[in-house]
Amino acid sequence: MRSRRLRSCTAVLALPILLAACGALRSSPPRAAGATAAVPAPARQVLGNGVVLIVQEHRAADVVAVQLWMRVGGRDESADELGLSHYLEHMLFKGTPTRPPGSIDALLEGLGGTSNAFTSYDYTHFDVVVPAADLGAAMDVLADISVNASFDPTELESEKKVVFEEMNLVEDDPEKFLTRRLGEIAYAPHPYGRPILGTRELVKSLDRPRLAAYYHKHYVPRNMALVVVGPVVTADVRAQAERSFGRLQGAAAERASSPAIPSLAGGRRDDVTRPEQQAYLGMAWDGAAARGNADIFAVDLLTYILGDGPTSRLNQTLRERLGLVATIDASYVTREQSGIVSVTARLDAANLERAEAAVLDVLRGIRASGVTEAERARAVITAESNYAFDVETAEGLAKSYGTAETTSSLEDELQYLARLRETTAAQIQAAAQKYFGDDNYARVRFVPGAR
Amino acid sequence: MTLHRLAIAGLLALVCTAPTVAAADAGVTRTRLDNGLTVIVRENPVAPVVAVALLVRMGTRWETPQTAGLSNFLHAVMVKGTAKRGGQELAEAVAALGGKMSAAGDVDYSGIQAAALARFWRELLGLTAELALEPRLAPEEVDREREWLLGRVQRRRDNAPSRAFDEYYATLYGAHPYAIPALGTTESLKRIDRAAIVAAYRTFYRPERMALAVSGQVSASEVLAEARRLFGGMTAGTSAADPPLPPPSNAGRRVVLEQVANQTQIVAGGLAPSLTQPDHAAAKVLSTVLGGGMAGRLFVELRDKSALAYTATSYYDPVREPGTLTLYLGTAPANAARAEEALVREIRRVQTQPVSDEELRRAKAYVLGRYAMDRRTNDRQAWYLAFYELEGAGLSYPERFRHDVEAVTVADVQRAATTYLAPLTTVVLGPRAPR
Repeated sequence: MRSRRLRSCTAVLALPILLAACGALRSSPPRAAGATAAVPAPARQVLGNGVVLIVQEHRAADVVAVQLWMRVGGRDESADELGLSHYLEHMLFKGTPTRPPGSIDALLEGLGGTSNAFTSYDYTHFDVVVPAADLGAAMDVLADISVNASFDPTELESEKKVVFEEMNLVEDDPEKFLTRRLGEIAYAPHPYGRPILGTRELVKSLDRPRLAAYYHKHYVPRNMALVVVGPVVTADVRAQAERSFGRLQGAAAERASSPAIPSLAGGRRDDVTRPEQQAYLGMAWDGAAARGNADIFAVDLLTYILGDGPTSRLNQTLRERLGLVATIDASYVTREQSGIVSVTARLDAANLERAEAAVLDVLRGIRASGVTEAERARAVITAESNYAFDVETAEGLAKSYGTAETTSSLEDELQYLARLRETTAAQIQAAAQKYFGDDNYARVRFVPGAR
Repeated sequence: MTLHRLAIAGLLALVCTAPTVAAADAGVTRTRLDNGLTVIVRENPVAPVVAVALLVRMGTRWETPQTAGLSNFLHAVMVKGTAKRGGQELAEAVAALGGKMSAAGDVDYSGIQAAALARFWRELLGLTAELALEPRLAPEEVDREREWLLGRVQRRRDNAPSRAFDEYYATLYGAHPYAIPALGTTESLKRIDRAAIVAAYRTFYRPERMALAVSGQVSASEVLAEARRLFGGMTAGTSAADPPLPPPSNAGRRVVLEQVANQTQIVAGGLAPSLTQPDHAAAKVLSTVLGGGMAGRLFVELRDKSALAYTATSYYDPVREPGTLTLYLGTAPANAARAEEALVREIRRVQTQPVSDEELRRAKAYVLGRYAMDRRTNDRQAWYLAFYELEGAGLSYPERFRHDVEAVTVADVQRAATTYLAPLTTVVLGPRAPR
């Protein structure tokens, strides 16, 4: 069995900067502490300057996860700012006036710790894991880079090549590129459909004043959430946070509102010729958004039933019974203002039409006849299990809190499993009828051929 | 697909975390059943989950170019059904536990890995046993999986980093079976039939060749009793000690291959000590000085300072027989020649100049920190426990490794560099060089 966790980022942890691209691929809604969680509830506090502090005591290991979540990402960029959020993600760990280039990496790795960062449309995320005794050092580094980044001109210039390489890497990988292309086709002209990495032209012409202006505008205390998970005492963390993040200053501008998520009625289509031998099919429907939409539970369960693992409907029908695809998956990516359910398959080019028709058939079946109680129960257990595996590590738990804080709310997160368990088969069928039609999806196909 | 040589297929990610080590474990029990099967249990109350690894001494080490991929093929078919239930029922049974189960072949070992919500530990162990002891190996599933695997071989060739690593292993190991891709080749997969798969299963699935490790929110005594009930009836085999293989000889070749892609892949390295050899810790520290993280020399010099490469890292793969220390660059084709020169320059530097005390300290902390991080999940814990057992490293290995790493000196690193990074085998894979 090749069962699949929905977290698409875990596979690339060894290549830190890849996480930048990965942020855009995040493919599961927040999962929350329910009856299975062996941890106390997190404490959420707001410092005097507006910095949100979330602390969770978690005594699984002698390491602490310290994460800075910025309420800024791809969706905050104007057309001539594309890629700036992501470029900041690359530049921040490079240094400040008191921390020369390379010294932050050396410091953290010299503690035996790790650092990561990634950029999404709603947030930018900086992530450090260190021995619990070094919490203060980690917090000081994050507070320093959050307002004092130097943007050394040489570093800034040479990082461009790194970003170009990252673009190449995404374009060379058919699965990554399919996800990106599907998002572009489904969302345009909403900012969620723009390239997180920016364009080659914009990155090429990017200069220090423009980057610094964007940074100073968005990297202010009111846009910051600090999440700390580990063998810590909440009051101690609060005191340390007051001494570092509590001293930061800066006024927040209102977050600019984005246009409405476009309707996919009538469908959107795109075919791309690619060098791979096999073809790829991607289909995306507009689901429910992360913030304030009670349908997310039903859509989430429906996505599991459709495409999670070998027992799912799409696998059983398209791979096992019809033999039309080599692999097929469904994923549900929630953002603050949107949700997108994607079905992606790798297959022989000759099967493209039939596979698409078969996916629509499977959906038609669910709209007409619903799902079984057994399917519903299994999807709930899968969700519960995904959560349980996430909270094995401090950073996994911190990530779920940070995502919730920046795209929905911590309360939603904490009730997630309970709400999921209450969702009925009838609600799942209703969600299928509401969101999945025969002609309200974006479709991208990769067709083999010379590039 | 957590078994590591196959994981190189994906994004090279698991490889660098797989073979490191850390602190001694409290709460671990190890028992050898009368028939030779080793059972290891780690009680871990942290999260409501349980993980199982059942590994068997079987893999490409015992394959030939004609049978390449046999171990992995067997495991691919195993998960498609048992005497009691077909593949779909099996998948449903696992899903009902909030579980996952996979089986794959690797280099020194192959096996089954599974995990589920802890309250279903007994069911999960039962399904693992069913898969291991009563696989159906149905002829029609053999044919279906062959098709699927052929697709994967094709896809792996399409993926430039995976292909570059396969070509590197083939060049470095030559006639030694470590040259064989765990996935097999188009030719070998077409040749392997059901009879070969059944024969391989009967030869290798013997209790004395197997280790079962369980980690999670469980009771060791309950797990042991259940393991005894499930596996105690296996008949011990008569498998003699594995015949020795001729040692691989690294000829230090440089191979250039063309593939349409935006990036050029450069893979270079040499043979390195196995897990249980005295130099293992020194080679691990050397690998970290060069390519460990963002403060590693390759990242600093080739990526940060000169932006000659996007990916610049190292992998040390300490398998049972000579392992390999590998340096890897992903770069723009226009920069490939200069990136390779810079890579060779860094190798010369670490061979001829001692590393600083601070660099050594950082590398050691990084190795031990990464090791501790990697062993926090039950999945990884179960895998490590079974893996160490099969590699002959033993339960005390983590503590020994920590000690060995702390003892590595500046001179050890330099000696490891001259010993293991010469001669250099290199594979360059990319689009035709621009004129």
